[in-house]
Parts: sequence; structure tokens; C-alpha cells
Amino acid sequence: MKRGGLQGYIIKRLIYAALITFGVVTITFILLRVGPSSPADKYLANMSARTQDPAQVIAAVEARYGLDKPIYEQYVDYVVNLARGDWGWSFSTSLPVIKLIQRHWVYSFQLILLSMLFSASLGILIGVYSAIKQYTRTDYLATLFSFIGISIPNFWLGIMLILVFSVQLGWFKTYYDTGLPLFSLANLKALILPVITLGTGMMAGYTRYARSATLDNLRKDFVRTARAKGLPERVVIGKHVFRNAILPIITIIMFDLSGVVFGGAYLTEIIFGIPGLGRISFNAIFAGDYPVVVTITLIGALVVLFTNLATDIVYTWLDPRIRYD
Amino acid sequence: MKGFIIFLISLPVLTVGCAAQAPTQVEDIFIEGTSGGDAETLNWILAADASSFGYVRHTLDSLATYDNQWNVVLRHLAKPVEVSEDGLTYTITIRDDLKWSDGTKVTAEDYVYTVKNLMLSDWLNYPYQIDWQEMVNGETVFVELEVVNETTFIIKRKTVNPEFLDGPIYSLTPYPKHIAIKYEGDVKAFTEAEEFNNLTYTGNLGPYKFKEWIRNDKYVVECNPDFYLGQDTGAPYFEQYITKLLGTPTAVLAALEAGDIHYTGIEPEQVAKFKLMEGIKVHTVPTRGYDLILYNQRNNGWEGLKNKEVRQALSMSISKQAVIDSIRLGFADPAFSFIPKPSPWYTDEGVPKYGYGSLYDKDEAKQMLYEAGYGIEKPDGTLAIQGKDGEPITLTLVTSTGSNIAEDVAFLVKQELADIGIEVGIKLVPWPTLLRQYVMNKVPGTDQEPRYNNGPEAVGEESWDMIIMAFNTHPIAPSGSRVFFTTDGGLNYWSYSNPNVDELFQRVRSKEALDKEVRKEIYGEISQIIADDQPAIFLTFPRGNHGFQANVEGIDVGMRLGWNYHEWYFAEP
Amino acid sequence: MIRQISSKVGGLKNLIFIGALLVLAIVLLLDIYLVDQILEPLEYFYLFFAIIAIFYGIYPLYANRRLTKYYWERIKRHRLSVFGLAFIVFLIAVALIGPLLTQDPTKVNFQEKSLPPVGFTIQQSVYDLKAEEFVTRETPGTWQHPLGTDDKGRDMLAMLVSGARVSLQVGLLATLIAILIGTIMGVVSAYFGGWVDMALMRFTDVMMTFPFFLLLVFIIFIFGPSLVFIILAIGLTGWTGTARLVRSDALSLRTREFIMASKSLGASDTRIVFRHLIPNVISSVIVIATLSIPGVILAEAALSFIGLGDPTVTSWGVVLNAGQRSLDTAWWVAVEPGIMLFLTVLAFNFLGDGIRDAFDPRSQL
Repeated sequence: MKRGGLQGYIIKRLIYAALITFGVVTITFILLRVGPSSPADKYLANMSARTQDPAQVIAAVEARYGLDKPIYEQYVDYVVNLARGDWGWSFSTSLPVIKLIQRHWVYSFQLILLSMLFSASLGILIGVYSAIKQYTRTDYLATLFSFIGISIPNFWLGIMLILVFSVQLGWFKTYYDTGLPLFSLANLKALILPVITLGTGMMAGYTRYARSATLDNLRKDFVRTARAKGLPERVVIGKHVFRNAILPIITIIMFDLSGVVFGGAYLTEIIFGIPGLGRISFNAIFAGDYPVVVTITLIGALVVLFTNLATDIVYTWLDPRIRYD
Repeated sequence: MKGFIIFLISLPVLTVGCAAQAPTQVEDIFIEGTSGGDAETLNWILAADASSFGYVRHTLDSLATYDNQWNVVLRHLAKPVEVSEDGLTYTITIRDDLKWSDGTKVTAEDYVYTVKNLMLSDWLNYPYQIDWQEMVNGETVFVELEVVNETTFIIKRKTVNPEFLDGPIYSLTPYPKHIAIKYEGDVKAFTEAEEFNNLTYTGNLGPYKFKEWIRNDKYVVECNPDFYLGQDTGAPYFEQYITKLLGTPTAVLAALEAGDIHYTGIEPEQVAKFKLMEGIKVHTVPTRGYDLILYNQRNNGWEGLKNKEVRQALSMSISKQAVIDSIRLGFADPAFSFIPKPSPWYTDEGVPKYGYGSLYDKDEAKQMLYEAGYGIEKPDGTLAIQGKDGEPITLTLVTSTGSNIAEDVAFLVKQELADIGIEVGIKLVPWPTLLRQYVMNKVPGTDQEPRYNNGPEAVGEESWDMIIMAFNTHPIAPSGSRVFFTTDGGLNYWSYSNPNVDELFQRVRSKEALDKEVRKEIYGEISQIIADDQPAIFLTFPRGNHGFQANVEGIDVGMRLGWNYHEWYFAEP
Repeated sequence: MIRQISSKVGGLKNLIFIGALLVLAIVLLLDIYLVDQILEPLEYFYLFFAIIAIFYGIYPLYANRRLTKYYWERIKRHRLSVFGLAFIVFLIAVALIGPLLTQDPTKVNFQEKSLPPVGFTIQQSVYDLKAEEFVTRETPGTWQHPLGTDDKGRDMLAMLVSGARVSLQVGLLATLIAILIGTIMGVVSAYFGGWVDMALMRFTDVMMTFPFFLLLVFIIFIFGPSLVFIILAIGLTGWTGTARLVRSDALSLRTREFIMASKSLGASDTRIVFRHLIPNVISSVIVIATLSIPGVILAEAALSFIGLGDPTVTSWGVVLNAGQRSLDTAWWVAVEPGIMLFLTVLAFNFLGDGIRDAFDPRSQL
């Protein structure tokens, strides 16, 4: 495969990623603006505001936020600002959107990174092991265990863990302390329960895929050859089987990324009081804070696109059988 | 030697300001827990939510506040506000020891500028301007403000409003003119102004100074050694006051139990458990609010509700005691009108107590409905309640989501009314939707702007029969409730009208009511008429439960628990 | 006459199928424009999917009995998936006849609030304001409410049964919507190729880059938390995975001989898509469906947990959300629906896994 081919491919994908992001931004913006809630709601909802003339309050708020302009104008303003690097002002948290994300992405990132490490490593280990010992009791147990992990509603699990380990046993603090330095042992300890909560759900998937990928490869001819050559089982599994199985698993992990951030991570963040991007994004939705919502959706989309592209490239690089024209 | 000198020099510094004379160590951190939403902004003139105001209050006091007996306690005021004979001019004198962070004095200029150039300006679009407006000859005008000298300014009105003092004036806090003037005219710049978003200007105007704010996590303020009230006492006695936000109510209570936070509010169901805990003390205090169920007397409600006897009958079928025992678990007093027991104007003589004691009688209720024409007698002698058209009666009960108590009440009402043969459909809607589609009303066919009371002919977008609400009341000055109960009351959502009540509310604001005996009599009459009219079912005056770690001292327990929170401290271990 | 029409549309079975859909459409139109309300929106969904399920799902199973038997044998070998199936059947039975046997789950009774399940006793206290002390009594569970009651006195057993119905409804309907959209997108895209494929797949990509749960919360928050919207929202956002998988499946089919043969015989595109491609991707679709249902059920529970569930409906998620406030005083209100959710999701996962292994020709069972 030619170098130019790969480059051209990447460029094509980048252009196309840009188009998709544009589409995402537009759809999100439309949904937000067309929806029935508006920033004026919270001014109306304020208790003391009950003595105010609602018509006046609504008019004042809309004038302040530029909501009385036609929606087309609002959209153009927004996109133009984005292009200029002004990602907007979050009026539900009174920070520039960039700053807001800057300050909070770390919390989500560390949670997700640790959870993925935890679930991927544990999952792959269990999966490979149970594939090797297929149909033995260990296999069944491991399967059962991973199924249980994926079936427990993770928000429920989190609450139960807090009740048992923080309240009853007192081993952990009941909430996450942001004052702890990021790379400290104390921080790691504080993350144990959230990581378990988030990780158990993801683990099952990895276990299953690792297991079936390993099984697939175990049946292949090259394994038989390796065994016939007299290589110790360890090497067979470790070098040959594992290397081949790892690719699809990595793909799965990559694809899971965005789903995890904004799905499971959000619930975990809420329960343990971790102020990560998940919490920020959902609070923004409830507050109708469209700059934040659009930006975070954008980020989510970019993450997905980027990881897809990266995975595809890695795939190409690793597997010479694939061609891109 | 050098060290000794440094020590000597630093000695005086150590004896001034925070916690120097308090019975605690200097490193004390107080954590208040909450599961509510985070604040939106510290730039308070742009804020709409209680959390924002709460955060700002740590660093900025207002002109005055109230203690637990609702006596006025001066804060930034140097002396009580002077009100002129005719009630139209207010003279306000502030303390002369208030300073902004850069050392400049806080002057009357700052106050006047804040009101005139910020709140009442047309570039900032402050949504709550109505507090500073009055109707003169059919036109809406703003009150006038004038600086007299460095520490004094006057506010001039053209119409009398006795509540002006308690509301807008006492809660007034200034912006620094010399900083705000830089952003004048530019909403965006003002919104994003560094100084206002980080409260860097607050000087000694409050017990604490802003330290840091991690969104959705915690708000940290640190002791202000220059606090104008703390110069003699050394208050506040906490090095830091942290408001910690936790995701769920369960998490907050778990934190209290584990000792990870020092203070939070407790729901009725959990109170017993916490009262029994060794390390926790729970204070039960009356609150300002009361819940009630409005009967819609507008044209888009059931026509039966326009009939007083029907309303009384319905109220008779709903047990206030059940609400108190089963829903509030005992933490409430029954309400029969809008004046609470602790008020000096409270009376229950001659006030009919529908839904309580002997006036909780479903059979009697059915009888009354029958006599009003809403029932027939069945062959076996019992009564069956139905509409005048022979169809069963279905009522729509609306309440806002997010309040467990309101939902419980809704279901209780449904159950109670089912017992007399009336079906109740429950609608749970978000609060803004409730306001926009049910409460706000306009006369159909016109293009009026919807408001809370556009007159008796106005109706809301959606029809409804009952809405569960919670109102606040001022125990000392309950005449504020006129907005609810007079025909033209600005918040009379449900169009209750009784000319006698209107007249009595007028009288209670006039000269004769300056005599306390007369006022008590008038309020007594109002309570009696309203309780008899049953424009709404008054349910309960709930009590609040505040949970503290046992070692927190200095708490003044009462309705306004926390009014002097800068005097709280940790007891010696 | 009937024979003429039926040969036009390709057989009696097709006639019945189209006829049923037409009847449904007519009733729907009548409902919107003329008469007040014949059927609830949800019931339309049911009937529509019942028709499709019968025609594309149940009938083929019946017609190809031998194949069905073969697959059934393979599934049976997986013990866990048989357990799963048994539980699901049990659940469906509960959902269908349970409500007839239990109390009314919406009937509140504050006198009997927060009763524990049979065999447990709990202390309940009411505060006496005058005496400033608690009046505590021991309340045991009774057989009247074998699983206890919630904080409004509603019977837990009745609510769980009702919840089974709702969760199954949401699970099935939302999944069916997602599957339907995904399958059609995938097959059409694979069959027509070219710019149709490009356009549809790009659209799928845009939808896929939206984080699923965020989008869900977004839509429900904007349009309101009613059960119909929740089902629609989950269905309309969850089809992307199906589309992709079905497309790759159909792509491999497209080049197979029987399709080529059909084409050269002059079969129309619609005919090929509906009569040949779709029935052949069904096996993948069934696997995807069974494995999506647990995700959907959990999504609904999660939505209820953050407060976006339909409050007028008794689903497990709604009960769980209400219960998590009183975890230490009335733990059963949260634990019981949690267990039900867990078991149901587990059952579907087992079953789906078994079906997947059964349909996969490469796995040795």
C-alpha cells in the first residue's frame, strides 16, 4: 500500500470528520433552540420573582441573552464565534466554556482512564483464561461473573457500595474530595469505589470479546503449528494468540469510549460527587445552557471521530491485508 | 534574634481578626452539605437562583437582617432607616468603616450607582426592577435616589409602600462604582467581568472572603480578618466555610452520618434516625412557609368551585392531621389561614378549622355537596356525588415535579376525595411549565401579555381545578399576603374575590392600624373570613430540621436559624 | 378474485400482512381526524409490531419447523440461556396476568406507608410537636403486603408486577423501533450501494457520534418525560449499531447467487429487499435485538433515576428512584426493583448469548 494512499485517506477522513462535526453542532443547536424551555424559566422560577410581572421578566431575560433575535441570526453568531475560537460563555456556571471544560475534564479523564484500565485488564485476563479453560467450571464462573457485572444497574451498585463501605465500615469517605492532589495515593484511594462501580459494567463486554476472540484464534491453524513445533503453552498463548486477539478488543474499547463518558460515567459522577464533564453536561442540559451543551457534544463527537480514525490507522498499519483506495 | 523580632512583630497580627479570641484552634473548617443545584453566578445582579445569593451572602452582607424574633438587626446600616412622616422619603445612613478590597471606602455613591445605573438601567435588563417601580397616574416610574453625603442617601417615592423597607431596602448590597463604571453599557463585559465573578472586590463587607469555587463540587470562603462586625469578637470562628455539593440526598445524609460534613437539612423520614445518633444534634424550627391547595375560581375550573359551600365540603374531606402525621411525620402545625402561630396577630377564635378535628367529616361533606346540587339520593338512602349533568365529577390536581411532599399530598387528596365519590386526576409538571401554562392567565381573545392576575375574566392556558402550592409569610407583617387574597392582588392566581377582605387589607395599612389592638382585630377578622370562604385549603405550617455535628456551638435556634452564623464555633473536644 | 390479488402481491400470506397494516392505518387515521380516541398511542405501537413480528418472526419459525428445531437444540445446550429464557417467559406471564391477581399499584394508603416485607420488622416514628419527642412503634411486615409498601402505602408486589409490564413494553417496543429502522437502513444501504449507501452511512455516522445517553437525556428533557417519548427517543437513537451490523451482513449476502438469480429473473428491488434480504439477515437481527433489550431497560431505569422517567407510570426505574431517598429507612423500596432489573437484564443477556452461539455456524456446541 502506498504512502500517498494512506495520506489521502486520512485527509479524506478529516474533511469528512469536519462535516460531521458541523452536522452535530447544527442538530444540537436546533434541538436546544426549538425546545420549550428557555433561560427565562429559571428567572420565573425563582421564588422572589413571583412578585414580578412575568411578562417583564421574560422580556428582560430575552433581551439580555439576545434571544429576541431571530434564530437564524443566533445560529450564525454562534458558529462565527466558534470559528474565531470563542466557545461561548456558560451562563449557568458563569465561566467561559473553555475554562469550564478545562477545569473539569481532568476528573472525568482520571475516572475513565482508571476504569478502563481496570476493566480492560481484568476483563481480558478473565476472558483469555476462560477461553483457554473452556467449558470448565472456571469458565462458567467467569462467564457468570461477567454477566452479573454487566447486568447490575451501575447506579444502584454505586449506592450500595457507599452504604456498605463508607457509611457502615468507614473505609472510604462518602464523597470525592477534590482537594487531593491528582497524583497522590489518597486520590487513588478515593477513586477505588467509583472505578469499581464504573468498571464492572464495562468489564463484562471485554471479557466476552476477549473470550470469543481468543477462542477464534485458538482454533486457527497457526496455533496448531506452534504447538506442533513444541513451543510451551505460555508462549503460544502469550505471543501468538494474544497478539491476534488484541486488535478487535482494542477496537471495542475505542468504540466504547464516548458511550462510557456520557453514560455510565455521568451516573457514577453523580453518586460519588465527582465534578467531571458528565455532571457538567447534564446540568447544562437541565439549565438550557446551550453553549456548554453544544460544546460538550462537539467534544464527544470529536473524541469518537478521532478514536475511530486512530483505530482505523492502527489497524491498517498492523494488518497489511487491508487496503484503502 | 531575628526570629525573635519577627515573632514580636507578628504577635499583634495574630491577635486581630479571625478566631483569635474564640475557644477554637485556628485551622477550623466548617463544611455545609447540600444536594441541591450549584449556584450560577457570583455576579449577583445577574442571578436568579437562591444558591447564587446564598454564596454571595458569605462575603457581602446587606443593609439589615432579621433575628429569630423578626427584630431588625442592622448590618451595613449605621442606624435605623429614617422614614418621613408621609412615608415617602427614606433616609439611609451606612457605616463609615466599610471598605472595598482595594482600600477605598464604601460610600453612598456606590449604593445610588448600583440602583440607578445598574438595576434600573436599560442595558443590563435586571429582571426584578418591579421592586423599585411605582404606579403614578397610570404610568410606571422608578423611585428616585439621591446622595446626601458620603454615608447618607435618600430614596423618594410618590406612593406609600410600607413593605418597601423590609424588602428591597434591607436586602440592598452595593456594587463598587469605580469598578462597575468600566463595564457600563456593555452587558457582555459586565457578565464576564473578572472582579464580579470572583468577588475580588468585597473588602470587609462580609464575614468571609472568596477563596475558590469548583463548579458542582464546592464553594470555599475563608475567614475575613477585617470583617466589620468581627473587630471586637474575632468572628467568624472558622478558618474556612465550605459549601459542599453532593449528587444525591442519600449521599449528603451519609456524609453527615460519617462526619464528613458538619451541617445539612434533614428530610422528615430521616430525622428520627439522626436525633438518636450520638454525634449529631437536630434542631427543629418553624419555617416561614405554608402549603395550601388553591381552588380555581376562574372560568377554566370546575364551576362548583365558585360556590363557597362546595369548597368547604371539599376541604372537610381532606384531613390535615393525615398530612401532618403521614407525610410530614409530625413536623408541622395545621394551618387554617395564612398567619402562623408565632405571629402576634395570630388568632384561632371563630376561625373554622375545615379538615381538622370535628370539621373533618366526609359524611357531612357529602351532605353539603348534595345540598349544593351535586349529588342524588340513592334508593338505599345514601348519597352519591355527581355533577349537575349526572356525570361523575373529575377534578384536575396539578403540582410541580421535584417535591416529594407535594406528590404525597396530591396522592392523599386523590385518596380522600375518592372516598366521597370524586375522582381526581393528578398532573405532575415542571415548575416553569406550571407557571407558564397553568398559573399565568389572560383574557381569552385579547392579546394581553399573560400575567399572574389579569382580572377575573382571565384564564390560564390549561384548565385545572386545584394546584398545590407553598407560600411564604412574614409573621410580623403578614399584610404582604394581600397579593394573594385581594381581588386585584398581583399573585391572586386563582381569582379569589371578597370585597370585605379587600377592605380589611386596606384598613390594616392605614393610620388606624398603627394601634396594635386594632391591627390584631383586623387580622383576626381577615383570618375568620378567609377560613370561612375557603378560597384554598390551608394545609400546614411545616417545620424544618437542621442537622449539625454535636460539637457545633453558638447556634441561635429559631425560624431564622443561621442569621448569626458568623458566631458559630466548634466546642473544645 | 382473491387469488388474483394475492398472486399480484406474492402470496396469500402477503395479502393478509398488507391487509392488516391497511386496517391499522385506517383506524389510526380515523382516530386522528374523526373519532375521539379509539386506542392509546402505545397500543398502536403494539399492534404494528405484533403484525410485523408475526409476519417476519413467528411465521417463518413455523414455516421452517425443521430449522427452528435445529436452532432450539443448539440453544438448549447452553444451560444459562435456558434459565434466561425460562425467566423471561415467567416475566411475560407475570406481566400479562399479574395485574389481574394483585392489588392496584396506584392505590395509596398513607396509613400503611413504608411497611417492610414479610418477615422483617421496622421501627417507625412520628414526632409529637407538643411533647417534643418521638412516638415509635414496631411495624412488622404482613402477608397483606408480602413485599412491603412504599412511602405512599402502595403495595410493592403490585408495583413490581406493573413494573414488569412497563419494563418489558419499553424494552420490546424501543428495541423493535431501533431494529426496524436499523435493519431497513442497513439492508437498503447495502443493496443499493453507491450514493445511497454513502448518504445513509454518513447519516448513521452523524447519529453515532452523538453520545447516546446524552442525546437521550437531551430529547426527553426537551419533549417531556412521558412513556411514549421515552420509547420513541430510545428507539430513534439506538438504531445505529444495528444499521452497521445489518449492512455488513447484507453486503455479504448481496453477492450471493440467489440474489443474482433473482435479479436476472427480473425481480424488482423492493421484492428482493423484502423477500430475500431481510429474511436472511433476521438471524443477526434477532441476536442484536435480544442483546439490546437489556440496554434499553437499563436506559429507562437510568432516566428514571435522574428524574426523567414518566412519573405517572409505575416502572422499576421510577420505583427505584423513589426508593433511593430512603435507603436506610425503607431499603426494600430500592432493593426490590434493583433485583428485578438485575435478574431481567441478566436473563436477556444469557438468552442473547445463547442465541448468538446457536446461530453462529462456527461455534461448536
